Amino acid sequence: MALSYNPRPWTFYVLATLFGLFILFLYGPMISVLILSFQGPNGSLNFPLREPSLMWFDEVFSPRRVGDVPGAFGRSFPLAMIVMVLTILISVTAGFGFRHKFSGSSAIFYTAIASLIIPGLVLSIGILVTARFLGISADWFSTALGAHLSWTLPFGLLIMFAVLGRLDPSYEEAAFDLGASRWQTLKEVVVPIVFPGIIAVALFGFTLSYDEFPRSWLTAGTKNTLPLEIWTMTTNVTSPSLYALGAITTGISFLVIGLALGSIILIQRKRAG
Amino acid sequence: MTSTSNIDANDAVAVQSEGSGQIRLVNLTKTFGNTQAVANVSLTIPHGSYCCLIGPSGCGKTTILRMIAGHETPTSGDILIGGTSVIGQPPVNRGTAMMFQSYALFPHLTILDNVAFYLKMRGVKKDERRRQAHEMLERVQLDHLKERMPAQLSGGQQQRVALARALITNPKVLLLDEPLSALDEFLRLQMRGELKSLQKELGITFVHVTHTQPEAIALADMVVVMDNGTIEQAGTALEIFNKPETPYVARFMGAQNVLTGKVDAMLAGSAHLVSHRGEKFEIPLTKRSTEVGDTVSISIRRDVISVKKASDTDPAAAVNTVFGVVDSTEYQGNFVKVSLKIDGVDTFVANISDAEYFSETVGPGDRVMASWKTAGVHVLSKVDTDSAGSPYAI
Repeated sequence: MALSYNPRPWTFYVLATLFGLFILFLYGPMISVLILSFQGPNGSLNFPLREPSLMWFDEVFSPRRVGDVPGAFGRSFPLAMIVMVLTILISVTAGFGFRHKFSGSSAIFYTAIASLIIPGLVLSIGILVTARFLGISADWFSTALGAHLSWTLPFGLLIMFAVLGRLDPSYEEAAFDLGASRWQTLKEVVVPIVFPGIIAVALFGFTLSYDEFPRSWLTAGTKNTLPLEIWTMTTNVTSPSLYALGAITTGISFLVIGLALGSIILIQRKRAG
Repeated sequence: MTSTSNIDANDAVAVQSEGSGQIRLVNLTKTFGNTQAVANVSLTIPHGSYCCLIGPSGCGKTTILRMIAGHETPTSGDILIGGTSVIGQPPVNRGTAMMFQSYALFPHLTILDNVAFYLKMRGVKKDERRRQAHEMLERVQLDHLKERMPAQLSGGQQQRVALARALITNPKVLLLDEPLSALDEFLRLQMRGELKSLQKELGITFVHVTHTQPEAIALADMVVVMDNGTIEQAGTALEIFNKPETPYVARFMGAQNVLTGKVDAMLAGSAHLVSHRGEKFEIPLTKRSTEVGDTVSISIRRDVISVKKASDTDPAAAVNTVFGVVDSTEYQGNFVKVSLKIDGVDTFVANISDAEYFSETVGPGDRVMASWKTAGVHVLSKVDTDSAGSPYAI
């Protein structure tokens, strides 16, 4: 006779089902896109998958048919890299700045965070209007860069707050006690300790910018970034090459995330042994 | 450079002649906002002594330590180490090294590199600094763990690493912030012994902040008892324990009983006190001039008191006796702690040897008389103002 000491309550099964559905909703669409990107020449935009092939991936890289994907990637990738570097530089230094209480620090902090709640499309219009007024032409490397930073910096700052909030000040005091200068303390002690947090900031900076649509909408200028290009394609391309493109860009995002998380795990494994 | 970074017995002697590890605090004050953490403290800690700063949390002991270390700047006053003012100097120039309560070992560096950190900051070549760090780890018997990361070490091992990392700076003064508080009882006693013998061996000044009385009594050449940012008493452990000056020190250090009365009669070599309840105490006359009518507080150690069941025939006016009702008894192995309530208000504690206790047991609710000999009475130089008893009386 099977006698369980700890029978699971019925709520367990309800919540487990709910969680299963959640996972399905989260990854189901992405997996569908991934599968359908291997559609054959006679396949449609819908299931079933017929004569699997790689032809739609090839199609993505030929500008004649589906628009300028390599060109859009050539703007989105450097933009995301620039945003990432600036986000690291600004939010890490700002995070350190906020460690010392100064008058008006909380006001400045909330001002910085508040830009998260401004709708991206509205912000996009605002930036375009302001740029026109100032006589600056909208480009991915100018107005779009600013728009993306308004999105990534608050995230970066919040992460740095969490990371630095857990940094025991006695590490810095110990370094000072052992004769380290301020610069040496930063270089030899503080930055290595908070490095996983800095990688997280980099990750957010890159992916938020690389995927950003609303804030790029009016600010990217005449040449599209990748999300804008994909959006344009949805309106005039009706082939599975759309799926192939989705699969490629998602793959790049995952690659970046994987690299970042991998390096965090590597550092922590080295530390914990 | 290498001679200052490598500690062995010879170097310790050299340090003694080079610069003294005497610490002088002159009218030292530190305020944080509106609170005065340290209030006009003056103190001289002799070179080569083991000094314990003790007091309840918030008494200013850690602030003093951090000011000596250079991690906190005094609001006013001066700190002299080896006769020179160190205000504004970084720790390395002060000749101090600090061991942090959390040890603050750098989590991203191996044990070896943690210990070698000071040498790295001074630009010592990798091979040389690792060699010296290795020697230092041998001293604390951890050289076999040199490639480990701090998180892989036990609390006791981490503490030894922190010690090695501080000592490699060849300090004149080692500052220890509650170094034993994170260890379990067994390790605490072991490390206590090791710290004491290390201090003897190095001959440098140790300043050790603690809130544990037995730790201070066992370790210190000089105990500094603090309360509310001021020094209550500084002296040898024996003085602090047997000749407390104030009711606070008597209660906090020895958990002694403090009684207060008015001088009623002067006798040859002694005087009589009468408490507000009418109890009569005989006190030895000290150097302090005492006159009839003076209010005097006395302390009586817990272990010089005997407790007997009170009967109706007991003389109510017996000298050196208080009557009370047993509140609780606690068996402590080699003695029994008997707590009385006098008039239901004041607590009076006696530690009775188990042989004496079990020959005539008393229990909660029993009315008893506690008495002592005049020789066991110590006269305090300050009158007790805290008649309700101290929160630190355990």
